[in-house]
Amino acid sequence: MKSLLAVTAVATLLAGCAGQQGVQKDMSAFRAAPPRSILVVPIANKSLDVDAPNYVLATLPIPLAEKGYYVFPVNTAKVILEQEGLYEGDRVHQEPPEVLAKLFDADAVLYVTINRWDAQYAIITTTVTVEFDYKLVNRDGTVIWDNRKTMQYSPQSSNSGSAIAILIAAAINAAITRAAPNYMPLAKQANSQALSQGPNALPDGPYRVPIEQGKTQR
Amino acid sequence: MIRLLIIAIVTSTLFGCAVRPPMYSWGEYESSLYASYKDPSKVEALQVTLESQIAESERLKQKVPPGMYAELGTLYLQSGKTDTAIAYYSKERNAWPESRGMMDALIKSLELRKNPPAEQAAK
Repeated sequence: MKSLLAVTAVATLLAGCAGQQGVQKDMSAFRAAPPRSILVVPIANKSLDVDAPNYVLATLPIPLAEKGYYVFPVNTAKVILEQEGLYEGDRVHQEPPEVLAKLFDADAVLYVTINRWDAQYAIITTTVTVEFDYKLVNRDGTVIWDNRKTMQYSPQSSNSGSAIAILIAAAINAAITRAAPNYMPLAKQANSQALSQGPNALPDGPYRVPIEQGKTQR
Repeated sequence: MIRLLIIAIVTSTLFGCAVRPPMYSWGEYESSLYASYKDPSKVEALQVTLESQIAESERLKQKVPPGMYAELGTLYLQSGKTDTAIAYYSKERNAWPESRGMMDALIKSLELRKNPPAEQAAK
């Protein structure tokens, strides 16, 4: 029993900190001007899916706010930029960050670009891939943090039963994924890992309460 | 010994990289925003979601998450209810000092747009 608990404890520690490898980038620019508020501007898109930018935009406020930043209302910001004639994320990203930061009185502007948002179909399995670039720019135009995250998913059949049953299950999974590839869990995982895990995670913002004083709300 | 290990597990979970308790109650904010982008007829459902989540947080005296008052205000603005929009922008402004610049600019431009500039509905 004791050894089981010890194993669990070690496993929890290891699992909790998976993805710590890699070299930490220089964070001196961030530390010189740590932002309190972040404006997430509409997402630029290099994929072929025209709906992907809005979907990704919807996934960003929660992880950023839970990191402890004031996050400007993403849909309100999008509506305001549209009134300024900036309809596409790609177009917004061409605006100087100083101008965008000033328009909203934001400390920093987060630019996210979708590099990949696609599904590769094979006979039995389908692989869904998302890849995002993240760039946080200070209101004076300095890049203070950046990261890139790629996530892939291929449905796995359970390995119980006969070979034919596994094949059928895999074919059904592929058919379902083909009909409606579900990118959203992948997009959320990418955000969570890019912002909160590994040596290049975004540092905590001013509203992140230390755990000792934190209140669990659920 | 076992108690010590349990403490170790709980601490490692709390201080570990992945698991931290959420600071805010978001309800269905994310999925409703996504749904409204996927199908614009779901904007009303988003409005209902935001209203009930805000009411719930206020009832429990929890801090309403950043941006939520303002997002609801914008939905009211888009359905022509300028006074309600101003009221929610004011709530955002009062809850989050970082939003003051943006909210003041929004409120000011909406009040200028109202013609004539009669009494303010902002609470």
